[in-house]
Amino acid sequence: MWIDRRCLDVALVVSLVLTSSSFITRTSSLSVTVNEVECVYEYVLYEADTVSGNYVVVDHDIFWGSDHPGIDFTVTSPSGNNVHTKKGTSGDKFEFKAPRSGMYKFCFHNPYSTPETVSFYIHVGHIPNEHDLAKDEHLDPINVKIAELREALESVTAEQKYLKARDARHRHTNESTRKRVIYYTLAEYLLLACASGLQVVYIRRLFSKSFGYNRV
Amino acid sequence: MRSIALVLLPFLAANLFLSPCQSLRFDLKSGHTKCISEEIKSNSMSVGKYSVLNPQEGQPMPESHKITVRVTSSYGNNYHFTDHVESGQFAFTAAEQGDYMACFWAIDHRPEVTVTIEFDWRTGITAKDWPSVAKKGSVDLMELELKKLEDTITYIHDEMFYLREREDEMQELNRSTNSRMAWMSLLSLVVCLSVAGLQLWHLKTFFEKKKII
Repeated sequence: MWIDRRCLDVALVVSLVLTSSSFITRTSSLSVTVNEVECVYEYVLYEADTVSGNYVVVDHDIFWGSDHPGIDFTVTSPSGNNVHTKKGTSGDKFEFKAPRSGMYKFCFHNPYSTPETVSFYIHVGHIPNEHDLAKDEHLDPINVKIAELREALESVTAEQKYLKARDARHRHTNESTRKRVIYYTLAEYLLLACASGLQVVYIRRLFSKSFGYNRV
Repeated sequence: MRSIALVLLPFLAANLFLSPCQSLRFDLKSGHTKCISEEIKSNSMSVGKYSVLNPQEGQPMPESHKITVRVTSSYGNNYHFTDHVESGQFAFTAAEQGDYMACFWAIDHRPEVTVTIEFDWRTGITAKDWPSVAKKGSVDLMELELKKLEDTITYIHDEMFYLREREDEMQELNRSTNSRMAWMSLLSLVVCLSVAGLQLWHLKTFFEKKKII
């Protein structure tokens, strides 16, 4: 992440005495339309932080055929290694331990030409360990417990966001099914009536005087 | 000097503790648009901050790296609009529940440059201004942390209610679709038989009139 100037200065001053706490806020679940490749960057402050999150492809349009390749998701570490990959899905949860601190790249790749909307949520969580505790005397062991509690709550929140996004997609599918049921059934009635009308008209013409009914 | 520093340090520490600087970053090519949307409940606070990264440190931002930002609700109401800026922020209380979209346009420029935008969008409880809460109540850090946790739990609880409601609506929708399908299939049978009957009757009278039968 880009830490703006002011924050950087503060961080430099404070880090001399106090390690920054485990409190790292979350961006809420956002949606982005993926045309081909869409990447977002997120900064991981500490090595061995747990990066977790989920993504759901919301805009399924009507439905994907069974041969649709799905959306690919890749996470690249700052050194260019592929940390996490998931190919061809319509949504997934992920969690990994960051091998090093730095700017991580989260990319969605859409192999098809139709743009898809992806709703995603990324969380970087840090729990102060004994090393941090030893470095700084202001950090209580209770801070570790609070951090663990916060991380547990964050995982619940993440799960909720995932469920919410999946529920939205499910709802979308159901509403489109309902509309299609009604329209196709009405179209079927109309078609039936038209076919039968055409049949009657044809038979009438066959028997009309201009043909002469002995031709039938 | 040293005493001032020592006095300042806890303050600064509190600042870092309470208002971490973290946001989302994405790239935007010149002349292109990118939109990020988020679902916001009605009457909840929403705060957003965006800035363009300066490609050359220390020098003023080049004209090619200015952006236009617009925040709209799903009903089309405009909540924020700035033109030709390099950074800015917005805050609003969502009047209607729905998908809010923040769209970024990069100024069209030849040759095409890639503008990197930092964007931080918080809604609901994450938008709460904790440092001011801390200053107002002069609570200690631990208590503030626990207050934050309490807020998170309330939020989770509310979300659960919301999810439950949505599930209820979905069940209703499915049940009604199910019964509607059943009725329509029955109706299609009736339509089929009646159309066939009409055909038969019409042709019979037609042939009787023509004296063929």
